[in-house]
Amino acid sequence: MAEQIQKKLQGELEKYQQLQKDLSRAVAARQKLEAQLTENNIVKEELELLDATNTIFKLMGPVLVKQEMEEAKGTVGKRLEYITGEIKRYEQQMQELERRSEQQRETLGRLQQELQRGQGKG
Amino acid sequence: MKLNQLEFVNRKKVESDYEALQERLRTLPNKLSYDIMVPFGPLAFMPGKLVHTNEVTVLLGDNWFSKCSAKQAVELIEHRKKHVRKVLDDLQKVMKNFESRAEFTDLQKMSDVSFGVFLVNCFSNCVLFFCYTGKYRTAHKPHSKPKLSNVFEVDFPANGSDTKSMGHFQSEEELWAHLEELERQEELLGELDRMPNTAETNGEDTSSSEEEKEDKRTDLNGMYRAEDCITQGNFHKEVTNSDLFGGQVNGSTYYHSDDEDDIDVGDNSVPTIFFSHTVEPKRVRINTGKNTTLKFSEKKEEANRKRKNSSGNGHATPELPNIKTPADIYRFFVDVVNGEYVPRKSILKSRSRENSVCSNTSDNSAAEFDDRQGVQRSISCDEATQSDNSESILEEEEEEEEEGQQQLPKKLLPSSGTTEAFSGTVIEKEPLSPSLIPHPVIAHPILPTILERKSEEVLSKASEETPKRISKFKAARMQQN
Repeated sequence: MAEQIQKKLQGELEKYQQLQKDLSRAVAARQKLEAQLTENNIVKEELELLDATNTIFKLMGPVLVKQEMEEAKGTVGKRLEYITGEIKRYEQQMQELERRSEQQRETLGRLQQELQRGQGKG
Repeated sequence: MKLNQLEFVNRKKVESDYEALQERLRTLPNKLSYDIMVPFGPLAFMPGKLVHTNEVTVLLGDNWFSKCSAKQAVELIEHRKKHVRKVLDDLQKVMKNFESRAEFTDLQKMSDVSFGVFLVNCFSNCVLFFCYTGKYRTAHKPHSKPKLSNVFEVDFPANGSDTKSMGHFQSEEELWAHLEELERQEELLGELDRMPNTAETNGEDTSSSEEEKEDKRTDLNGMYRAEDCITQGNFHKEVTNSDLFGGQVNGSTYYHSDDEDDIDVGDNSVPTIFFSHTVEPKRVRINTGKNTTLKFSEKKEEANRKRKNSSGNGHATPELPNIKTPADIYRFFVDVVNGEYVPRKSILKSRSRENSVCSNTSDNSAAEFDDRQGVQRSISCDEATQSDNSESILEEEEEEEEEGQQQLPKKLLPSSGTTEAFSGTVIEKEPLSPSLIPHPVIAHPILPTILERKSEEVLSKASEETPKRISKFKAARMQQN
């Protein structure tokens, strides 16, 4: 009986660890997105500062591609929106993961108690 | 906080880089073209010319470039610098929050702790350190905020007398000395003053800061313990005790009560040990203190014993103050125990009773023997060597005694025999205790020897008393015989 509980405990523990890993991954991705967000904001502001006379390039791999001002502004804006959307998605994911990890923690605790009780009896 | 500091440094570096770049950009269009050495691969340079000095391709971020004039580039840089500065300011605000929180919690604790002058000094040293670092940083920053340091200074005087340490950043030694004094006072008093939270709180976030206060307190306590490890062991214990004494944290008070309880138990057990002698006639030699030896009857012994115990508990007897560590208690404990066991008849026993108080072995001993066993075990290592030495003395003394009287040899011979056997077991202590219980008389010769050593160690005066006591006991024995 105790062994069964122990096995169950092991399984739950693994699940919990997996959840934790997912959570940390989500957190890291979100941080990266946040950095990109700030950068794109700066780019947008700087584009505002520039006028139409100077050319704008976009680096695509090894190539610097000439871009129009409006195009660039549009692209940057779209990128910004995309990033914010991604961040929101990751936020939701993180919340979900947290909830699940919390549940997992509870089950772990319960199983541990059962195990101790079983061990105590035995 | 460390992270913040690191970020701060990084950002500062970035800002300085930008400023250098700005300078370069400003001077660049001064000339139409520059003669430069162009890096040609990783190992070579090539002479070349820098043309179109006014055209600059600027990275806007996220793989976006823009070709612009130098002046425009300068504007871009300015804009970026603004951004960096904003981040720096945010970091600094966070830093300030941390520091102010730490300071508030420390100050709170300072105001709360009664013995906290030294604590306060220690805390304030830490906070001062923070403050000093803050000042350092603000000085470096071009847009330094003197408000930061001002805030700290304002808070320090707010707690008034507690913060003597403003100037005592390096006077830790004074603090430790003061700490020692306070703790000695504590021990003499035998009590700990626990001041309630005074009303010196700044009134800011007291509720929220209490938790932090506790955390800080434990952290600081741990820190102090770490620092105290460098000092003596006694001091270490005292520091921890003192930390716990003034604390209002439940955990700390709990600890404190435990310490007190332990000490009290030790004190109570010492006085309440009673030892009944079957052989001894009504006259008993009792060592009430280091210097005094009195005659009591067995009945009087208990009364006196109780009296002395109560008085001993009430105020510091000459014996008790020496107890600064649990080891002292145990040592003293052993002395008492040994004294109890000492048979009154032999000189050795009398000698052993230098600092011990004679008591009845009968009733209370059973429960107390367990305590003694533990005590004796703890002291066994110390006494092992001593017992060996004392054995020889014991035998010598017994021989002297044997010459004088006839009864003594009979008793001493078995005792000596037992002492020899006993000596082997003295080291282990465990066989000692069971043998003690059934044969208090037999156990006496060894115990006195142990007592002798112990008493010599603990009390210098004891040695002076021994010759007197021996003579007195001899006289007593002579009278008895």
